[in-house]
Amino acid sequence: MSAAPERFGQRIRRREDPVLLTGQGAYLANLIRPGMACMRVIRSTAAHARIKRIDFTPIAADPACLGTLCAADLPTGVGTLPAMDLAADSAPARQRILADGTTRFAGEPIAVVLATDAYIAEDLAERVIVEYEPLPTVMDVHTGTQSNAPLLYPEFGSNIVHQTAQRVGDPDAAFAAANTIIEEEFSFRRLIASPLETRGAVAMLEPDTGRYLVYSSTQIPQVLRAELARLTGVSLGRLRVLAPRVGGGFGCKEAIYPEEILVLLALQKFGRAVYWLEDRAESFSATVHGREEHMRVRAALDRDGVVTAVEVDCLADIGAAYSLFSNTPSAAVATLRGPYRIPHFRSRARSVVTNKTPLNVYRGAGYPQVTLAMERIMDLAAAASGLDRAEIRRRNLLQPEEFPVDRGVSYPGCGAIVYDSGNYTALLASTLEAIGYDGFGARRAQGKEDVSLGLGLSFVVEMTSGGGAEPARLRLSSNGRLQLLSGVTAIGQGTETTLAQILSDHLGVAADTIDVVAGDTDDSPDAPGTFASRGATMGGNAACQAGDAFVLEARKLAAEIRETRPEHIEWKDGMLIERGSSHQPLTLSTLVSQAGALGLAATERLDVTARFEDTPVSFASACHAAVVSIDHATGVIRVLDYAVTHDCGRIANPLLVDGQIMGGVVQGLGGCLFEALEYSDTGLPLTQSYMDYILPTAATAPRFILRHIETPSPLNPLGMKGAGEAGCSGAGAAIVNAIADALGPAIALPGGTGPFTPGVVRDILRNAEGLRNAEGLRDAHGKDAPAC
Amino acid sequence: MSEEWHQVSMTVDDVPRRARVRARYLLSDFLREQAGAGGVHVACGHGVCGACTVAVDGIAVRACLMLAVQADGAHVQTVASLSALEGAPASGRDGLTPLQAAFREHHALQCGYCTPGLLVSTALFMSQHKAAAALPGNPSPRRAAILDHLNGHLCRCTGYANIIAAIESVLP
Repeated sequence: MSAAPERFGQRIRRREDPVLLTGQGAYLANLIRPGMACMRVIRSTAAHARIKRIDFTPIAADPACLGTLCAADLPTGVGTLPAMDLAADSAPARQRILADGTTRFAGEPIAVVLATDAYIAEDLAERVIVEYEPLPTVMDVHTGTQSNAPLLYPEFGSNIVHQTAQRVGDPDAAFAAANTIIEEEFSFRRLIASPLETRGAVAMLEPDTGRYLVYSSTQIPQVLRAELARLTGVSLGRLRVLAPRVGGGFGCKEAIYPEEILVLLALQKFGRAVYWLEDRAESFSATVHGREEHMRVRAALDRDGVVTAVEVDCLADIGAAYSLFSNTPSAAVATLRGPYRIPHFRSRARSVVTNKTPLNVYRGAGYPQVTLAMERIMDLAAAASGLDRAEIRRRNLLQPEEFPVDRGVSYPGCGAIVYDSGNYTALLASTLEAIGYDGFGARRAQGKEDVSLGLGLSFVVEMTSGGGAEPARLRLSSNGRLQLLSGVTAIGQGTETTLAQILSDHLGVAADTIDVVAGDTDDSPDAPGTFASRGATMGGNAACQAGDAFVLEARKLAAEIRETRPEHIEWKDGMLIERGSSHQPLTLSTLVSQAGALGLAATERLDVTARFEDTPVSFASACHAAVVSIDHATGVIRVLDYAVTHDCGRIANPLLVDGQIMGGVVQGLGGCLFEALEYSDTGLPLTQSYMDYILPTAATAPRFILRHIETPSPLNPLGMKGAGEAGCSGAGAAIVNAIADALGPAIALPGGTGPFTPGVVRDILRNAEGLRNAEGLRDAHGKDAPAC
Repeated sequence: MSEEWHQVSMTVDDVPRRARVRARYLLSDFLREQAGAGGVHVACGHGVCGACTVAVDGIAVRACLMLAVQADGAHVQTVASLSALEGAPASGRDGLTPLQAAFREHHALQCGYCTPGLLVSTALFMSQHKAAAALPGNPSPRRAAILDHLNGHLCRCTGYANIIAAIESVLP
């Protein structure tokens, strides 16, 4: 008799860990074998230029050179990368596999060189001559949208390649009737997800079958397989794609990249296995960026502090071309109102192409920006109304009895936005208590001189799950173990642990009799992949469905063995029991042997595939609170305490959900306090290492207070919602509100979005000091102080 | 391109390794490609993130910043030698050292890419910490020391809190 099943809701330790802790994780770089050719990408050193000449002659005769490719060598039809969210009226600004004629961002692939090792490949790449004729660049959305701006794609006649507008109610009337109008602008800096494992890909022939085998450090192996087939003409039957152990994704591995296509093309053309590993400097311009948006928000308030209308105008800097998911602003601004009722609403979002690396989703996919904007507005509205910041939120929150709530807007491509369930007032009350909101005034007063304390709140409501039907296959191994083949790619969230736990609970069998395999397109050719906080919910429900189908087949087989009807066979905790019979129950192991004795193949019969049909997205929610300190002498901001009350429906494994929240909060903290990608005026990337791009370290991690409220989602049998992004989406907003609170009402935050590095903070304080002095002098002397 | 080749020998996780390498060949590449040390993860290549940390003659080194020729004759230990570095046996069904078990217990890893380097330098930190704490009149401020140690490592997944908790749980 095996151990007890794991139960839904337990803090189960991860089954992935022993392998990872002993250094045996098979990441992409661990798949490289002697004899594979190393591919080095020659990248554009110009932001915008005509490519006059690519000259391989300096290396053509070098025996170390195993092959080269440029646009002219690509087979006919190998053209442009896919873009999922091109609308019918979007201008199709698509990135080519290799730049052809024109390059539109520094870092764009122009050619590749193959060599026996990485050192030689880099030497060879340096000797290839690329001649450029510079073109005028567009480096920001404001100049890019002027009528005389240089155009990235002259054929479109504009750099605006996508726009959407949505409206609810009558915002004009609400603004006309407003007691107060709040208006604020936000500029969100360009960030990069930067998982510690960079991207990489391997293409080889599968030894037994002769099929093409492509490994990629990707969140979406199934999409990659389809795109490889589309772009190279190789039939799907000859393509197998695997995501090995992935060292972090956060959205940047949820795109299709030139290098993933090029390794296969190089294998086809030169007949040898090829690998490509991105180096860190390269990664800063070769891997998609995130976030950069410019937003103007107006809000109308009535006399009681009720926000009656809000409108947002967003310009997104999507870089030189669409990536797989570029139009997050269109979608996210539609959900700007978050947890607040706000009956009247208008949004406009425009995507602008510039000479930068393409933009894609990055953890939170637009929610960090809209959350920050909305939550700053709430604080400004509180100040304008003379209301407490918690009180103004209370007055505007949707109430528990209002669910489901149709927000009257749609998420482009995903249909109407209907909040399925939630309890926002409970989230707010819990977080206020957790952070010590009521006692904060006293805590602030006890602070040290020259160190200001501040407290900030934020609220996230974000779409999770959905994303397409999710397959799951469950089969019996000849040793009696269960094998769950899932299409959910594991990128560090503990997918194997969670799915095994959910299935163990569902079937009543010990989790250590279940093996979970993920990320192989042979097992789940049509799975959507891992993104949008969907893995546990979609994969878990699919696993349960497969479990039900499996039990049905097991009962049928047991009935044949016992020569009875399936209705007389009961499944209980991994045992098949014949009702009213004194026979020993069958275990899965004895089922295999007894079926075998009768000439029945249990492993063939018990191999079922289920499909959990796509559901509307479910909306997870969270209330965040941060306490920060600002040291006036050094300008250093520290996040001291951080409370989150999170509601992602029923929680399968709170240990892992807490891990997602804390990791997400610290990622959001980094984007708020340290990180920004910088470009020169001519479009050259200035941020090329972790010396330039400052990530949070252990000393910056706050003290966490995490709580959960479980309001089940009515949209799936397990009642789950996603949890991967809520930490990141709310952190910037809570921290910026806390910074503003620490600085006091007299000091406005320019742009209000960060990064609030010590230098920036010192500038803010110095300017405020200057203003105070100037006003002081004016008061004293009745005239302006002299400029200094 | 003519480059001078050098014969290099070192022990890696107690196994003697020899190879003819170019002067520019990095220790991280030597360990991964010539010594089968797949747990040496290269994440930044610039010596910032700490993922490739190994012990060279008992001292924590970024393997991406050292040349293989510089480690000629050295005794190199990677995560595979963690038990020796910690001075504690691996035990239990999964064969984990006390530090590894604490990481698992506290959910101090997610994608696991930064983990092996972090474990190596934490094991070295722990022995230094123990030695310092043993000196009379030298009470070590534990948390500050842990943060100081951890600032040499980047983790993108966990938000660090669980890593700090895991290390606190195994420090004396």
